[in-house]
This record gives sequence, structure tokens and C-alpha cells, in this order.
Amino acid sequence: MASDTRGPGGQRLSRRGFVRTVGAGVALSALAPTLLAPIGRAAPARAAATPGVLVVGLVAEPTSLDPGQLTDINSMKLLGAMYDTLVRFKPNSFDIEPSLATSWDRSADGLLYTFKLRSGVKFHDGTDFNADAVKFTYDRLLDPTHPYADTGPFPFAPGYYGSIAESIVVDPLTVQFRLNREDSALLDAFTLNTGRIVSPQAVKTSRKDFAQNPVGTGPFKFAGWDHNVRITLNANPDYWDGAPALQQMIFRPLADEQTRITEFLSGGVDVIFDVPPDNIDQVKNTAGALFLAQPGPHVWWVTLNTKKPPFDNVLVRQAANFAINKDALTLDILKGTGTPSVGPIPPAITWAYTDQVAQYNYDPDRAQALLQQSGVLLPINVTFWVTESGSGMQSPKTMGTAIQADLAVVGINAQIQTFEWGAFLNKYGTGLADEAAMAELSWMFDSGDPAHMLPNNLYGPACSPKGFNGGCYQNPQVDGLLESALKVYDRDQRGAIYKQIQQIVAADAPWIFVDNQIQNAAISTRVSGLDLHPSFYMTFLNRISAA
Amino acid sequence: MHRYLVQRLLLVVLVLLGVSLLVFIVTRLTPGDPARVLLGPRATEEQVAQLRTAYGLDQPLHMQYVTWLARVVRGDLGESIQLHRPVLGEVVERFRGTLILAVAAMIISFTVGIVFGVAAALRANTALDRALMSLALLGISMPPFWVGLILIIAFTLGLRWLPATGMFSPTGGGDLQDLLVHLVLPAVSLAVVPLAVIARLTRANVLEVLNQLYVRTARAKGLHSRTVVLRHVLRNTLIGTVTILGLETGWLLAGTVYIETVFAWPGIGAMLVNAILQRDYPLVQGGVLLVAAIYVLINLSTDILYLYLDPRLRHA
Repeated sequence: MASDTRGPGGQRLSRRGFVRTVGAGVALSALAPTLLAPIGRAAPARAAATPGVLVVGLVAEPTSLDPGQLTDINSMKLLGAMYDTLVRFKPNSFDIEPSLATSWDRSADGLLYTFKLRSGVKFHDGTDFNADAVKFTYDRLLDPTHPYADTGPFPFAPGYYGSIAESIVVDPLTVQFRLNREDSALLDAFTLNTGRIVSPQAVKTSRKDFAQNPVGTGPFKFAGWDHNVRITLNANPDYWDGAPALQQMIFRPLADEQTRITEFLSGGVDVIFDVPPDNIDQVKNTAGALFLAQPGPHVWWVTLNTKKPPFDNVLVRQAANFAINKDALTLDILKGTGTPSVGPIPPAITWAYTDQVAQYNYDPDRAQALLQQSGVLLPINVTFWVTESGSGMQSPKTMGTAIQADLAVVGINAQIQTFEWGAFLNKYGTGLADEAAMAELSWMFDSGDPAHMLPNNLYGPACSPKGFNGGCYQNPQVDGLLESALKVYDRDQRGAIYKQIQQIVAADAPWIFVDNQIQNAAISTRVSGLDLHPSFYMTFLNRISAA
Repeated sequence: MHRYLVQRLLLVVLVLLGVSLLVFIVTRLTPGDPARVLLGPRATEEQVAQLRTAYGLDQPLHMQYVTWLARVVRGDLGESIQLHRPVLGEVVERFRGTLILAVAAMIISFTVGIVFGVAAALRANTALDRALMSLALLGISMPPFWVGLILIIAFTLGLRWLPATGMFSPTGGGDLQDLLVHLVLPAVSLAVVPLAVIARLTRANVLEVLNQLYVRTARAKGLHSRTVVLRHVLRNTLIGTVTILGLETGWLLAGTVYIETVFAWPGIGAMLVNAILQRDYPLVQGGVLLVAAIYVLINLSTDILYLYLDPRLRHA
């Protein structure tokens, strides 16, 4: 009975009447956005906000507030407010400065690190921060037999801190790490969210519930979590690096992109991250709103299957690189939220980046010449894996389609296969092998150190499924350089090695180098002291104020 | 009657068992796994394998199902992989949000829908009838999420009368008034389609009943026209409305998925979509099981309500 009532037009409506009504409906639907758009564009007088309270819009409900457990960049946004690391990056740079550790030093063989800790620092629960707390933090992350290892799992810990064999308490303010192998990137790894220092007392008391009741040493204390509605943090007036200017921070999960924009424009939140390319102009034209942009340590590329024709031939790989119009891609599709990239390391990591590499500026004629020279028969038909979405993947479908169109011009016909992110990761993780010739991927270097990425993506022994080298690029010279970089401690010398790697990789072209994302945020003009950090962490939160 | 109820309740258990098995199989057949989604591209296969072991995903499938089922029987739906909290608490909390939204939308759609339908039927083929029915057709044709966006543009960004997102104000608030203010836009967006369906159906039913002999008799014996409509006409159209109630409740629960997303309303629809994308097996299983249980129980109560409303069915 009900099923036919929902169909368009009951019997009592004449055909002409039906057509007329539907026509009017369609016309109205088409017109409505145009009619109403000026309202949205008009600079809204932002709603009255409370001075001293900062409301941040998140892209999802945080999954946990236990630093060791987290794997998503969204939840990590809160960690800098509540916890500190041993060392941290200076504002606007990847240079390290003291945080909970005041000084550090390394034995001659590189296998023993000693950290002197800051005195007089207390956790929010009133207990002392000391060497025991540092040892507890890292033992819990790394030792599966630790009495509190069941408060995990801690997925990222082995990757970043796997070189730590043992942590040793020398005295209350001195802690040592004994390593099982040389790891020159360890100091950078200590800036990461995964390694933030937790209160041992709080973990012991709350056990599994620590994830919902976080206790650290940071500028803000956890005050309450109203699931799916808000997380409230109150200022920690005793913060060792200076009391926060704000009284309170509130984090709200707003999953839908347009909802987040609306909420920002109407004054419901003061800060949102990753404004979609299509809304940037709207934010810029809104009174009371500021648009922030900062080149991030991000790379986006297309992996080429170096083990199978046609991309086992370096000339074909180079041709594919010449065929892509990266300027059009970053300007038209990404609306300037990305810049064309030239290699596997992002320019944001200044000490390791070089543009003195073989560059592939858009040149379809050159691409065709290279294809001729390679001797492959045209047109080439290949399979191209594209993800529907994904962390750091920008606009993967539109970008994939643009790349497909550019390749078709020079005679490479890419057949796109789309996967949802979860499925895509699994496909990529097992490798392109016999199934695909091309696949998209991106990476965020949040430790500011190529050592945490390249050995997983361009290292021969990491050929998928062992690592995430999906195209199975293998160059013994690169492998050797990657290994040696872990034993060089001087940043300039280590940077020189990574620069050399970039030159080799650029010439070998195992990827189509596409772009580096420019991270962005929209903030209310009543907020001051909030700067985007290249690591994309929210840092120095005690210096933020809201009028 | 009692035997009928017992039979139906047994069937409910069977249906839920079937649902749980189906959801279990479907989640496991979907490519991708929670460990890889959590780790992203950063981890080696070895690390992914370790995490799978930690979640018990390395066990044979039938073992995983039996373990899970044994726990469910004891009232333990497990722990969400992604959220690190008990599934039961999360699902119940989220369902409360959906329920508030769905009930509000139902109240709006039924009261307004029935009033529109009766008014259109009593003034059949007049300008009022045509206006109301055109509105209804428009209502059925507009996707709810689009209506939601238009309402946000008009009432939040334009007029600044109502908040667009969430269940409560981010700072302070939290009382009933705060909730009601946040409820208006999502509830109206969600109510539009069922409202239109109910208006059209009520109109048709009322017209049919108006032609019945007993209505003519009631009029003939001089009853006030209001009494005729309320006593004789509306009551006899109720059975059709109850059917719709059952169907539309299901639709409301399903329709909240978009609405919850657009309005950042903390409900179970948006939670399930996210859980599926994250391959959060325990959360998907627990959430779907609860929604299925509600669905089945609503159908059951609709059938029981039939028995109550229509004495003829009791003996059938």
C-alpha cells in the first residue's frame, strides 16, 4: 500500500500536472543554491565567542587520547595540549630544541643516548615527572611483557623506536637509552606524538581507561569528554614553559567537510584544518576569518611497477613523468593547495631537500620521443589503482583522472580501478606485482626525517608485501645510501646523502612525482599566536590567545 | 494470541542470529582489515600481522564468530578497535542520539502530515488540495541531505536563528532547551519525506472513507461534521497510517545516516558508516545487531498494534 505512494505522481495527478510540478521542482532545486548563495558568501558577523576559550573543529571524533595508541593525525591534534615530548621542533622549523629533556648526548659508537631531564615538572595528577616516567613510557610502548603493555596496542612504536633495546634510570633526572643498532633518526623520532610522556601513576590507576582519562605534563589538563560532542581541556597554570594565555580549549568532532565550513563561518568553531580547495576563496572573503597556509612535509606520487612491462623500462617511466601537467593539476584541481614536486623528499625538510635533480617539466613531445626511443609498442594499456579518499591523499579521484587524461595524450591508456581506502591500503600493501602498473600514494613526514619514510618505500628489501615499496623499486646504490644515512649523525652530512638519493631516484623515476601539499587552516581573527607548524602538529599551545 | 506472540518472539531470535552471522561474514569478506587501516602505509606486513594477532583476527573465522557470539549472549559486545572503548556503551549512546532525532522527526511528520492529508481530502480538487499535494510531491522528490544543506544556508548562515551542528552548544548549555534548539533543523530535514508520504496517503485514505455508507449515515443522522471526521473517518483510516508508521520508522532510522552527517549529529548512522570505513569489526557487528533488533521489534509491535486496532485480524 505504501510502496506506490512514494512513486512520483499518484493516479489523481494528470500527466501534464505531473510534468509541470516536477519541472517546477527541478527548476527550484537548480535555482535555490544560486538564490541563497549570496547569503552564505556575505561576510557573516561571527557569533559572540567567549574570551579565553578556543573552540577547535576536528574532522572526526578522536579515537583515544593515549599517545601510544594513536595512529590518526586528527586525534593527535589534541596531544600537544596535554603532553610533552623529550625534545621538540622549534617554531616554524625542523630544528630540535629542549622540551622535557634539557640536554642530551650520544656515545661515540652511537649506541647509548643520555638525556638530562627538566627538574620541578609535575604531571597533572600531581606526581613528579622524572626518569622513571620516561622509562615507564617507553617500556610500556616497546616491551610486550610490560605489566601495562595490555593498555595498547601501540602500532607505531616499533617503527619509530624499534632501535631502543633498553631504557635505564641513572638518577631521577637522568635517563639513558641503549640501542640495538645505530639510528641517527632517533632524536627526530623523540619529537613524535607516539613518544609523548605519560603519567605512570595515571596509567596504573586507570589501566585501559587511560585512553579516556589522559594525564601528561602539557599546558592543558584534560577536563572532560562528552563523547561525539566535545572534549574540554582546562589551562594548566603551573606549566613549565609558561602558563597558557587561554583558559580553556574545546575540541568538537565535525565529520562532514561542508558542516565544518558552515560551523566555522557561523562562528561555532574558531579553528578548522584542511579547508577544501573549493572553499578557500569563501574563507578568504569572510570578515573575521584568517586563512593560514604552510608547506607541509608531504609528498604525493604515482608508483610505477618497475618489475613489469612497460614500466620496467626507465625511458617509459621518464616519459610518464614528462607527460603529466603538474602545474595544471596543482592550480586547477588543487586550487593552489599543492606545489609540483620533483622528488621523493618534500622541500619543507630543508636540510635534506634538493631541487638539483633531473626535473620533468610538462613536455608531451619529449614524452613521445622517449616512448619512441624505448621501443615499446603504442598505445600501451595499463591498470591504474586509485583510492576514493584517504589520509593525505588530497583529491585522489580527480587527480587520478587528470593523470589518466595526460597519459592518454602520449599513448599510455590507463584503466582506472578505484578502491575505498581500507581496501586500497591492502591492495597496495601486497604490491602492484601482476595486478597493476600504476598506483597513487602519499606520505606525511611528521618526524621531519626521511629516515622514517624512504626505507619503507624506496628500499629494495622493502619490496611489497614486506614493506610498502609497492612498485618494488630496487637500486643497490640507493639501498646502500639509505643504510649508511642511519649511521651519520651530522645533519649536513646526512642531508647530503639524502640529496644524493634524490638525484638517483629522480633519474630512475620509479614514481611519477606529482605534488607536495600545502597544509592550511582557517582561524578566527580573535585568535592570536596560532601558527601552523611544518610537522602539522598543534604546537606551543600555551602561546595561543583568544580575545 | 499468546501462541502467536511466542512464535513471533522465537522468530525474532532466529532473525537476529541470522543477521549476526550475515554481518560477520560480510565484514570479513570486505577487502581491507582494521590493522592495515589503523597503521596506514607506515607499517611493514610484520607489524600488521602483530596487530591482527592482538585483535584475535588471526583465529579461524568460525572460532572468531563463536567467541564473539558467546560474549554477546553474556551482554558483552566487545571493544571497538578504532575507539578503544566498549561497543555496547558506544552503540547505546549513539542510538540515543538517533532515537531523539527520529522521534522528533516522526512527531513532526505525523502531526503535520495527517493535518495536511485530511485538509486536502476535505477540500479535494480545490486550490488548497492542489497546493498541499504539490508541496507533498516536492517533499518526496527532495533528498533529505539537500534539504538539510538549504536549511543551514537559510537559517544558520543567513538568518542566524538556529545552530547548524551538534546536539548541544560547544560551550555551556546542555539542557533541554539547548537540545531543542539544535534539534529543529535536523528533525525538519528528516521529516520532510515521510511527512509528504503521510500527507498523500492520508488524503487517499480519507477520500476513500468519505465515500463509505457509514459516513453518509453519520451525516444523515445530523452529526456535526467535526465529529464525523474525527470519530468515523479518521479512526477508520488509522490502520493504513499504522502500516506507514512501521515502514516510515525504518526509513527514519535509515535516513538519519545522511542527516547525522550533515548536521554532525551524534547518532548511530554516522557511527556505522565510519566504523565500516575503518573496518572496525566489533563496532559494525554490535551496531548492526542493535539496529536489526530495533527494526524487528518495531515490525513486531506494528503487527501487534494491528491486532489491537482491527478486531477482525484477531480471529484470522
